[in-house]
Amino acid sequence: MRVLKIIPERCTGCMRCELACSYEQTGTFQPSKAVIRVSSFEGHTSYAPYTCPQCAEAWCLTACPVEAIGISPAGAKEVADDICVGCKLCTIACPYGTVFYDPDSHKAFKCDLCGGKPACATVCPTQAILYVEAGTEDWLASFAAERALPAALAGAR
Amino acid sequence: MADTTYAYAGRILRVDLTTGRIWSDPFPGADRRKWVGGAGLGAKILWEEVPPHADWDHPDNRLVMATGPLAGLPVWGTGGLTVVTRGAMTNGATNTQANGFFGANLKLCGYDAIVFQGQSPRWVYLHVTDERVELRDASFLLGKDSWETQQALEAELRLTGHRLSVYSIGPAGESLVRFAAIQGDYGHVASKNGCGAVMGKKRVKAVAIERGARGVAAAHPHALLAAAEEIAHNLKTDPSTKGLYMFGTLGGVRNLHGMGALPIRNYTTNVWPEGVDTKLWEAPNLREGFDHRGHQCSACGMHHCHMQVIRSGPYKGQVVDEPEYEGWAGAGWAIGATNPQEVAWLNTQLDRASLDVNEFGWLCGWVMECQQKGYLSEKDLGFRLEWGDVEGAGRLIGMICKREGMGNLLAEGVKRASEKVGGPAAECAIYTMNGTSPRGHDHRSRWEELLDTCTGSSGTKDTGPPTFPTEWGLPARISPQDPVPVARQVATLRGRKHFEDSLGACVFTTRVPMDILCRSVAAATGWDIGRDEAMRAGRRAAALLRAFNLRCGIGPELEKPSKRYASTPVDGPIAGVSILDHWETMLDTWYETAGYDRKTGRPTPETLRALELDDVIAPLWGAGARA
Repeated sequence: MRVLKIIPERCTGCMRCELACSYEQTGTFQPSKAVIRVSSFEGHTSYAPYTCPQCAEAWCLTACPVEAIGISPAGAKEVADDICVGCKLCTIACPYGTVFYDPDSHKAFKCDLCGGKPACATVCPTQAILYVEAGTEDWLASFAAERALPAALAGAR
Repeated sequence: MADTTYAYAGRILRVDLTTGRIWSDPFPGADRRKWVGGAGLGAKILWEEVPPHADWDHPDNRLVMATGPLAGLPVWGTGGLTVVTRGAMTNGATNTQANGFFGANLKLCGYDAIVFQGQSPRWVYLHVTDERVELRDASFLLGKDSWETQQALEAELRLTGHRLSVYSIGPAGESLVRFAAIQGDYGHVASKNGCGAVMGKKRVKAVAIERGARGVAAAHPHALLAAAEEIAHNLKTDPSTKGLYMFGTLGGVRNLHGMGALPIRNYTTNVWPEGVDTKLWEAPNLREGFDHRGHQCSACGMHHCHMQVIRSGPYKGQVVDEPEYEGWAGAGWAIGATNPQEVAWLNTQLDRASLDVNEFGWLCGWVMECQQKGYLSEKDLGFRLEWGDVEGAGRLIGMICKREGMGNLLAEGVKRASEKVGGPAAECAIYTMNGTSPRGHDHRSRWEELLDTCTGSSGTKDTGPPTFPTEWGLPARISPQDPVPVARQVATLRGRKHFEDSLGACVFTTRVPMDILCRSVAAATGWDIGRDEAMRAGRRAAALLRAFNLRCGIGPELEKPSKRYASTPVDGPIAGVSILDHWETMLDTWYETAGYDRKTGRPTPETLRALELDDVIAPLWGAGARA
């Protein structure tokens, strides 16, 4: 499957991903409704976008009491609006904080990979967000290991 | 028919600081199309609401902080802020820009502009969210520089990154330094004409705008996304913008030196001093000489704004914003400083204190030259300030911001300070007679901008560097010292910049062919706007700002460079060539092409009519004039 891979070092905090994402979600440019969010670190010197990694062991999906979350053809964990009752359990279950609740619609919402053509990756001017083929369904574990290595080395010093 | 607000929030936030009253007015569809936003909207408000007796420091002056239709949309570089006010340097109209996230966040809160009037009895900051707007006590921010102010407000409001956009004055604005600026989002400065002094006089320390939950709709979103990509593609590939895309304005130092336009040591020379490692000043080396990271404005993909860490020397380890060309010039070459690591530090000190880097360069360079030549003594200033003394320049910033000792005089800017000192010192100062401070170039080899700076009505240049002149029937390239073509070019392209300044977009990301830019505006707003309408809108704003200045008594008699500003270069590529031999000819051409009256400086009734400014004819030309 293809996944959104984020390379935080490349992010410049322009927030274009939030704009494009919200347009896909709502039809207007409204970053508060985006399901990708950019955080800043160390003052304004570094930024990183984060969104649902579509993890293999999807706790949102497991936690949902009405089975409103399914897997789309693109491989995204997707909320079915007509089934969701707005109980917010998925937002609590998600370890990444990437399932959101919309107080206007009373539904949960999250990244659905835009049906297989994620707008955030398309508009990112610095290729900090890539839509790439992952080797395994549990790609996140290897990704985490790869990212954790330098930190572990730093700790060992 | 319903008034659809595509690309606009449709409301203008009004704040009366004297009474503390806050309200919002509609920004109706007809006004939006006529004035667009930013500079156009500001010009309209200035003309309609600021009477001639209301000087820059009068409560009736307005401080307009406006954005425009492209802000908050995915076109590159669209977080724009345009400040329009009656400024402290010229006591006339001001049109000055900064980017960052101001415009995007403001529209997400539901407003296209903020208009301050009156004067607050105590220091306040304005807190804007999508649900409420409040004036809050700012006493805990006093004395803080603009970066510290933003950090303090982030802590106070518990918001980080671009969830909060802060535009503030530093100690310079608090002390009403005449060239105080408004700085925001770590490194974006609306610097011209003392707009920070106006904010200080009104006792507004900062404007803090949260990233609201509202949205901005585009009339044709798919067309807008396509236009945004077209603009991006153009910026990346066009030979005139490719360098900007890669390195922002860093390339300016070497390019301008090559044409004799790098201002070195207060215009006393046009060649690099001996022993300078000029390799360090190539764009890639200026960037790679620091640990750096992109720090882009809203939706921008230019490799332009960066944060960087100083790598060596006395300021090692400090985080600064990568200087623009203007910073390398004003905090560097103009004062004889040639070590990039030190210049980067001084530039950020100026941003943090919130002073105009151009005016500081002319002022500090003037002090240095006057000390060298014995026109100012060590006792006058309190210490010895040699060419290139960055630490001493930093000390000067402190004195100016506190108005300490001679700092009190220097805080008035180089025109007033040099006139006061008099004698031979007065002849070394770089300024225009109307009080505008030139940008950080040696305009003696860029006649277009010298003319533009003197004839402009914005407290800075009006036309700016030529952008795609062939679109308007002009030659692609002219000699920068060919008087008539230069004057014709400045007057013909006049208006384009005012239109760009009305969009809530950056001056660099709008450097694309006008048709492409207009396609993005059309897709955003739903208007069938083409380049002629766009140019007319820009020229309307330019003419109205000029009308405002004339009404304030600022006329064509002041459209002159100071002696040093128009002196003859003694070395470099254009040694011995003087603009003054052609000055009157250039003015004749400029006035005729602009459609302004040469004697009175007024836009002619025909020009005003063509710009749909019929109601300006009587105030300018008298009730008897044919409207």
